[in-house]
Amino acid sequence: MNKNTMRKRSALLLAALLTTAAALSGCGGGKSAGNVATGSGNTGNSGGSDEQVTITHYTIDSEDRTFIEKLIPDFEKEHPNIKVKVEKAPYEQFDSKLQTLIAGGKSPDVTSHYGYGGFAEYYNKDMLLDLTDLIAEDGFKAEDYHIPDNLMKIYTVNNHTYGIPVNMYVTLMLYNKDMFDAAKLSYPPSDYEDKSWTFEKMVEEAKQMTVVSDDITKTQYGVDFTWAERDMRPLYFGAEPYSEDTWTNGGVPSETHFDSPEVIAAYQKLFDLVFKDKVSPTSEWSKSVAGQNGDPFVAGKIGMSIGGSWNLAGANDFPFKIGVAAVPWGGNDKVRSTLYVDPLLILKGSKHPKEAFEWIKFLMTTEVQEKSIELSGGNPPVNTEAAEAYYKHFDGIDPADVKKVYEGAVKYGYESYNHLITNYSQINDMFINELQPVETGHKSLKEVMPVIQSKVTEIIKR
Amino acid sequence: MSIVKAASSRAPSSLAHRRKADPVKIASFAALLITTFLMLLPLFFMVSTSLKSKREMLKFPPTFLPESWAWSNYTEIFDTLQFGTLYKNSLIIGVLTVIGTLLSSALVAYGFARYRGRGNQLWFILLLSTMMLPYPAIMIPQFVLFSKMQWIDTFLPLVVPAFFGSAYNIFLLRQFFSTLPEELFDAGRIDGCGELRMWRTIALPLSAPALATVAIFAFIYSWNDLLTPVLYLSSSDKFTLPVGMASLTSSRFRIPPWHLLMVASVLAMVPIVTLFAIAQKQFVEGIVLTGIK
Amino acid sequence: MTVIKSESRRQTFYMYMFISPWLIGFLVFALYPILSSLYYSFTDYDIIHPPRFIGLANYTEMFDSELFWKSVTVTLKYTFISVPVQLLLALGFALLLNQTLPLRGFFRTAMYFPSMVSGVAMSLLWYWIFNPQIGLFNYMLSWFGIPGPAWLMSPDTALYALIIMSFWTAGAGMILFLAGLQGVPGSLIEAARLDGAGRLRIFVNITLPMISPVLLFQLIMGLIDSFQVFTQAFVMTQGGPNYSTWFYVYNLYTSAFKEYRAGYSSALAWVLLIVVMLFTAVIMKLSNRYVHYEGGGRR
Repeated sequence: MNKNTMRKRSALLLAALLTTAAALSGCGGGKSAGNVATGSGNTGNSGGSDEQVTITHYTIDSEDRTFIEKLIPDFEKEHPNIKVKVEKAPYEQFDSKLQTLIAGGKSPDVTSHYGYGGFAEYYNKDMLLDLTDLIAEDGFKAEDYHIPDNLMKIYTVNNHTYGIPVNMYVTLMLYNKDMFDAAKLSYPPSDYEDKSWTFEKMVEEAKQMTVVSDDITKTQYGVDFTWAERDMRPLYFGAEPYSEDTWTNGGVPSETHFDSPEVIAAYQKLFDLVFKDKVSPTSEWSKSVAGQNGDPFVAGKIGMSIGGSWNLAGANDFPFKIGVAAVPWGGNDKVRSTLYVDPLLILKGSKHPKEAFEWIKFLMTTEVQEKSIELSGGNPPVNTEAAEAYYKHFDGIDPADVKKVYEGAVKYGYESYNHLITNYSQINDMFINELQPVETGHKSLKEVMPVIQSKVTEIIKR
Repeated sequence: MSIVKAASSRAPSSLAHRRKADPVKIASFAALLITTFLMLLPLFFMVSTSLKSKREMLKFPPTFLPESWAWSNYTEIFDTLQFGTLYKNSLIIGVLTVIGTLLSSALVAYGFARYRGRGNQLWFILLLSTMMLPYPAIMIPQFVLFSKMQWIDTFLPLVVPAFFGSAYNIFLLRQFFSTLPEELFDAGRIDGCGELRMWRTIALPLSAPALATVAIFAFIYSWNDLLTPVLYLSSSDKFTLPVGMASLTSSRFRIPPWHLLMVASVLAMVPIVTLFAIAQKQFVEGIVLTGIK
Repeated sequence: MTVIKSESRRQTFYMYMFISPWLIGFLVFALYPILSSLYYSFTDYDIIHPPRFIGLANYTEMFDSELFWKSVTVTLKYTFISVPVQLLLALGFALLLNQTLPLRGFFRTAMYFPSMVSGVAMSLLWYWIFNPQIGLFNYMLSWFGIPGPAWLMSPDTALYALIIMSFWTAGAGMILFLAGLQGVPGSLIEAARLDGAGRLRIFVNITLPMISPVLLFQLIMGLIDSFQVFTQAFVMTQGGPNYSTWFYVYNLYTSAFKEYRAGYSSALAWVLLIVVMLFTAVIMKLSNRYVHYEGGGRR
C-alpha cells in the first residue's frame, strides 16, 4: 500500500464522516430552517397583521408551568397570524439557558422570573422591555382583567410598567387538624381582623403540641415559622432592614440595617422559637424529617406551618387533615404576609413585542385564568374573578377559609423581597451560608449580623 | 490476519493454577460480597422506591420496602412523560455517539500513540487542555457557534462532535495503543500491511477491552447528559430521557413524584446494564498477548 | 541522513493523517469557544451588553476575593483525598476481579453499577443514606456506639460526605484497570511464578509496570475531573452549609449565571486551566521515569 491509496482511504473516511454529518443535519435541519423563516424573518414588521409571526414563551419544564402549551390552540384560533412556541428548561438550568439564549441572539419573547434571580435582577440588567407604550397603545386596563391595582404597582418602576402579574402565592398558615384535636386546642382563625391571634398566642399553642423525645418518630413541634426569605423576616416584627428608596428605584437600596438593634431583636425572636421556647425544630431536624419532600409539615410532625401557599397544592395527598389560617399579628400592623406575585415579562430582545403582548392578555382573561387553575394543578390566579375557582380547589378545606386567608394576605401583604432587590440570588446565598452557624446554635446573632451587613453592602454595590 | 489469530489463543494460566480453597481467593470473595452489597444499595433503593405509592412517599420515617407494591407506577410513567419518545431519542443519540466516538477516537489515538510526528507533543497538550476548561465557561460561545450553523433544536450538536473524537477517549486509547508491542507492527510491515490496515487488523483487535470500555463510557456519558440537550433542544418531541426526568423534579411549588422518577431511573438503566453485561465479557475474554512472545 | 529525514517525514505524515479528524473537529468546534472565553476573561461582560475590555482586572480581582480562596481550599482538599483513594479502590477491585472467581461477571457489573445510575436518583439516595436522624450511615455507626455527625448538614462534615460519595464511582476506574490487566501477558507471570516469585513481587515487578499507562491516565483524568467537581455541590449542597462545599467550578458557575459576570467567570476558568495544566505537566514529567510503554512508537 502506498501513500496515495492511503491518502485516498483517509479522504474517503473523512468524506464518510462528513456525509453522515450532512445526512443528520438534513433530517433535523428542515424544521429549524422553517423556524428561522417565521421567527426572525420579518424583523421590524411586528405590527403587520397578516404576516405569520412566531413568538416564544420561555418557562420552566414542569407540569405547573408547561400547561400553557394546552392553551395555545385556542389562542392561535383567535390570532391566526401568531404562532406560540414554548421553550423550556428544568428549574436548575433556567437561568443559564435564558442567558445563553439571549447571548446567542435567540432571546425568547415572553418569560417570567422563574430562576434564581427576581424581577429586580432582570430590570437592573436591562433585560426587560418597557411595556408602558404598548399598554397605552393597546388600551389595556388592569381592571378589565380583574388585576388589583396594588399588584400592578409591584412591577412598575418610576411610572413605567415592566410586567403584568399573572399568578400570586401568599404566605399563610397551614395547620395539622389532627394535632390540634389531640392537644384539645381550638383551630386558629382564618380572619386577619381577629385581634386575639398574635405571635405570642401562637407560641402558647405551639407549646402544647410540642413533644421532644429520643425517639424521632414521636418527636413533633408546634410551629415551623418559615415566613418569607431569611433577609425579609425582620419585617414581620416591624423592623426594616432595607432603606425605603429600595421599593421605588428598582431595587437598589441606598442603605441597609442588618446590624441595627431592631433587626437583631427581630431575628432573636425567631431563633428563640428554636432555642428558648423550643417549640420549633432546628434546621437539621427539619431537613432530616422533610427528606426529599422539602417540608417537615408534610410528614405530619408540625402543628402549624407558616409558609408559602404552594404547600396547599399537595394537600389532597396528605395523610392527615389540614386547615388554613391567618398569619398571626407579630408587631407590624401593615405587613403580616408575603406575596409572591409572578409577572409575565417581555424581554428586550423580543422581535414581536406586540404579538407577545396579545398572548399575555390572552393568558390574563378570566376564562383562561380559570382554566389554568385546573390545568396547572392549582396555580393561584391574580385575576380576582378567577380566584373564586381557586379557593374551591382543595378537598377538605373550607373555600371560605382559603378566600379569607388570601384576601387578608393581599391586604396585609408585601411583595417578597426576592423579586424586588437587585443581586438577590447572591444576597440569598450569602444569608443561607452566613446564618447557618446561628441556626445550629454555634454562633450568636451579635457575631454574625455585622458580617452580614457588610457583605450585603458589598453585594449591592456590584 | 495471521498475527491476530496467533495472538488470540487464550491464556490457560489462571485456570491451570486454580487450587482448592485458596485462602486469598476466599478472602477476595468475601471482600467482594461486602462491597457488592454496598454498591447495590442504589439499585435496591431505586427499585423499592419505584414501587411505592405517592402517599407512601410522604411517610416519616420512610418505609424500607413498599407497603403495597404499586406496579401501576410502571404504566403511569408513560402517561406522565412521553416516555417512549424520550427513550427513542436518547437511544438514537447514544448509539450515534458511540459509533462516532469509537471510530474517530481510535483513529486519532493511534496517530498520537504510534507516530513520532512533528508537533505530536504540542497537539497532545492542546487535546488535554480542551478538557481543562469547565463547560460553563464555553457554554455561551459554543451555543453561538452552533446557532450560527443553524443546528439549534436538532440532534447535531449532541452527535456530530463525537465523530471528531472525544479528548477523554483519545487519551484513553492512546495509552492502550502505546502498550502494544512494536514487534507486532514490524511483522505487519514485513507482511506488506499499510498503516490503516495495521490499525484495523492489529491495533484494534488487540485493544478490544479498551474499545469496549470506550463504548460503554461514551454511551453512558451521552445517555445521562443533561446540560447539552437542555441547551440545544427546544421541541418536546426531541427531548432526551434526562431532560424528561428533570421535568419531574422541576417545580418549586409541588412535591415531586419521586416514585415516578425512580421508575424512570430503573427503566433508564436497562440499556446500560445490557450493554455492560455484553461488553464486560471483553474484560475477561480479551485477547491476551501470549502467542507472540 | 536522508533515510532518517524521510522516516521522520513519514511519521509526521501518518500522524497528521490519523489525528486529522480531531484536528478538524478542534478547529471547527472547539477553537472558537476557547478563544472567545479567553477574550471574555479580559472583559467586563454581563451577557446582555457587549463585552467591554478591562485588561487584567478580572484576574487581579479574584485574588482579593474571599470566596475564591475558599473555593480553592475546598477543591484542593477534595482532590487530594478523593483522587488517590478512588485510584486505590479501583485498582483493588480490578485485582480482585481479575482472578477466576465464581460470579465474576456479576461482581463486575455490580461494582460499576453506581456509575451508571442517573445523577438525580443517586443524590436522592445519598440524602437518605446521610440523613443524620434516620440515615443508614449513622445507623451503622450506632452499632459501634459512635454518634453520627450531621453529614451534609454540617460545615465540618459536608465535604467529607461528598468525598465518600465519590468512592462509589470507583467502578469506572476499575473497568479501566481491568482492561489494562488484560494486556499483561500471562506468559510473563507464568515465568515469574516458576522462578518462585510471590504475588506481591509479581504485582510490583510485572503487573504494575504493565498497567502504568492506564494508571497515569486515571491519575491525570482524576485530577482534571476533581478540579471541576460541580454537580454534587450544585444539586446536593448548593455550596453550603456555610460555604463548606463551595467548589471552584461552583464559584465559577455562580459568577456566570447568578451574578451575570461572564467575564470574571471566564478568567476563573483560565486560571483553572493553567493550574491543572501545571499539575498535569509535573505528573507527565515524573511519569516518564516510571511509566512503561511497550510500543517503540513512543520514546
